[in-house]
Amino acid sequence: MNRRAFLKACGIGLVALIGGGAGVYSTVPVIPRRPEPDLKAAAGWIAYRDGSYQLTLPRAEMGQNIATAMKQIACTELGVPWDAVSVELHDTARPGTKSTVGSESIMLFTEPLAQACASLREAVDSGRAIGQVDVVARSRDDLRVFQKSGLIGHSPALSQGLEIVTGKPLYAADVDRPGMLFGRVLRAPASTEIPSRPLAWNEQAARAVPGLVAIVEETGPAIGQANGLGIVVKRPGALDAIADALAVDWEIAGDYPRADLPQAIDVDTALASGPLPHISMDGAPEEGSWDVDMRFDIPLAAHGPIEPRAAVADWDGETLRLWAGTQDAFYIRDFVSDAFALRPDAVFVQSCRIGGAFGGKTTCTVEAEAAALSISVGAPVKVQWTRAQEYALGFHRPPSSHRIKARLGEGRITDWDHAQMSSHIMFTAAVVPAWMQSGTDFFAGDGGVERGMAIPYRLGRARAAYDAIRLPVHTGPWRGLGAGTNALATESALDEAAHMAGHDPVAFRLAHIEDQRLATVLQEAARTSDWTDTPKATRQREMRIGRGIACGIYKGVSYAASVAEVMVAPDGRVHVTKLWCTHDCGLVVNPDQVKAQCEGNLIWSLGMVLSDNLRLDNGRVTTEFFSDAPIPRMSDAPEITVKLLETDAPPVGAGETAMVSGPGAIANAVFAATGKRPTAFPLAGAEFAL
Amino acid sequence: MFTLNGEIQELPSDWRDETLLDLLREHFGLKGAKFGCGAGMCGACTVIIDGEAIRSCTYPAADLDGVTVRTIEGLASRDALHPVQAAWLEEAVPQCGYCQAGQIMSAVALLETTPAPSDEDVISAMDGNLCRCGTYGRIRKAINRVSEAV
Repeated sequence: MNRRAFLKACGIGLVALIGGGAGVYSTVPVIPRRPEPDLKAAAGWIAYRDGSYQLTLPRAEMGQNIATAMKQIACTELGVPWDAVSVELHDTARPGTKSTVGSESIMLFTEPLAQACASLREAVDSGRAIGQVDVVARSRDDLRVFQKSGLIGHSPALSQGLEIVTGKPLYAADVDRPGMLFGRVLRAPASTEIPSRPLAWNEQAARAVPGLVAIVEETGPAIGQANGLGIVVKRPGALDAIADALAVDWEIAGDYPRADLPQAIDVDTALASGPLPHISMDGAPEEGSWDVDMRFDIPLAAHGPIEPRAAVADWDGETLRLWAGTQDAFYIRDFVSDAFALRPDAVFVQSCRIGGAFGGKTTCTVEAEAAALSISVGAPVKVQWTRAQEYALGFHRPPSSHRIKARLGEGRITDWDHAQMSSHIMFTAAVVPAWMQSGTDFFAGDGGVERGMAIPYRLGRARAAYDAIRLPVHTGPWRGLGAGTNALATESALDEAAHMAGHDPVAFRLAHIEDQRLATVLQEAARTSDWTDTPKATRQREMRIGRGIACGIYKGVSYAASVAEVMVAPDGRVHVTKLWCTHDCGLVVNPDQVKAQCEGNLIWSLGMVLSDNLRLDNGRVTTEFFSDAPIPRMSDAPEITVKLLETDAPPVGAGETAMVSGPGAIANAVFAATGKRPTAFPLAGAEFAL
Repeated sequence: MFTLNGEIQELPSDWRDETLLDLLREHFGLKGAKFGCGAGMCGACTVIIDGEAIRSCTYPAADLDGVTVRTIEGLASRDALHPVQAAWLEEAVPQCGYCQAGQIMSAVALLETTPAPSDEDVISAMDGNLCRCGTYGRIRKAINRVSEAV
């Protein structure tokens, strides 16, 4: 369906075209072949029909509850009550929209949506009921949203909240189609960066299991270089039994040369052969002895959403319909149409609510598997990855290895040198073809790895450089990208510098901060947690208790500071007992849900320091269950206090900001409690034992 | 024969080799319970069987004879949400929401046996229900809200 047809189909109502003047879109080519965020293409998200308004959400809904926030914006600008606007998730028959990544939704879509709603309101008020409304951009001062009127600053009932608590179908795996079958694509137990394919299998044994419909050899694009063998069954319970019965013999083209990840990214080994090529801060620290000279190692980590990737594909011989829990339905459409040589308008993707994504549901994997199986058997097929497939075939936060040196002079940092080795986040093997990788590696560096290396302090002569090298596992965006891991390292080093200088960590940071908003979140975090000068470790029987603080700026626009209190047991186990967070993301549309994002980031911070890790064998992730890659549980969750600092700054994101402060605060609290600086993550209890 | 949300049901013979989770989702069309790990480790598939919170992803359909199964779809009455569902909305617990049906069923099972649970009771009942979004604080508040209303 082209755009004209779409508008015509809506011809019985009013459709607001989002016009110029709102061109604040990022131009970073995160993923090739994604739809360009063309302003004209952003038409039609808000429409008026028969006295009610329809908001088609131009974002993926994955728990940030953006549907609620955008409905608040729409109701406010339209000047209509909550129930007058209905919200639906988008599909690819709509004009394209950019992928839902990088905490950008509120930052980039608030104004265009408000502009569209304001123009639509005027048209309705003037008695029009049919046709297109051209959006005439007005000044922000003339938009109700930016005057904080209406529902801005309120926290109404969550959109889809009732459906969630009553168990209504919302997610990709909840979709049913008449005659639907169930599928899985098996792949070799090897690194996804080693060419592999099925060589032989026991079809007779598989046929003996009731329910087998087909064994499928055409399974679509490889994941990395891993080609698959598909199975389609009548009932899902047969999948495991048939996979076992097939006993596939895999051809695996040898071993990956850099299968030992810690060795492959060892920062000191890399530095021994020269400076790192990609520069984030280009100062020239002087040679000589250092007051701080520390190394930090952070491993590979999974996103760990509770929903394993899932898709339903329905091929009718002409068109392919897909239901997907994806951060980018348009990328899925383009990828699938390319992979199966279908016209883009022969592929239709419906985005479904996502059961947790955190940056992980940005590539096309399970959707292409479902498409291949449906095309092969000519019937609708549902595929949901097993938990083991999530770990083996998904992509992960890359491991990183940091060397940070700092020199002090008169209580200030005069020289700073941060070197980081990691693997790719933006130009990852999961999306960039091998032929293109050498070019991006040489010229472009990787903005995701770099994120957060240019720290928000005045440091004298400061250098930060990095390199990203190819690994046998797929890596990519993970909540906060490099900003979370870099901040864990830099906020630890800064804390160490404060300690060496004999200064209170808050005062020491403030002495290096020029950005007033950062200073304010830091001071407020100290105030709300009753921070006293360099809190001394205390003891409660045999438990050591300490407090730490950290702060930062995410993507240059969003501010957070955190304080952590930890209790360290005699055996070295760390329990986080309290977390405070102050947060400034400018104008807040929905305070409760911004707080919810902060709470989520803080629980992630806890996982980052205490548990996130994956088990590897010969370059392959062998983690299969949550027991092998624990995520925080209720018993790990501390008392959390979040304070939002509302400022007059424009609205920006909150989905990842506290990742720059939470982990550092926890690590620094462990230092305060034990006198030992955490440097290897996740923390091994024994290191902090009495 | 078994009872599902108050109605007597027959187990179809060709679904005997399935898990209760797949039976609920793909035969009965009840999509509330979710697949998370297939090993009873995350709790997204939790339902209540004879009063106890059970992981339906590892419960064989063949073992259903004579039991009473309750799922999230059976909690609300015609005109009112179950108090636990209402508390979940009042505390705005869900982020992605995928684990929440399982969380709610574990909380309902807890509150039916222990109407005023201690913090330790809540943790021991809920610690097997994972939430990657980090909604644990709100879950505790929602449970406390119901327990205080008793």
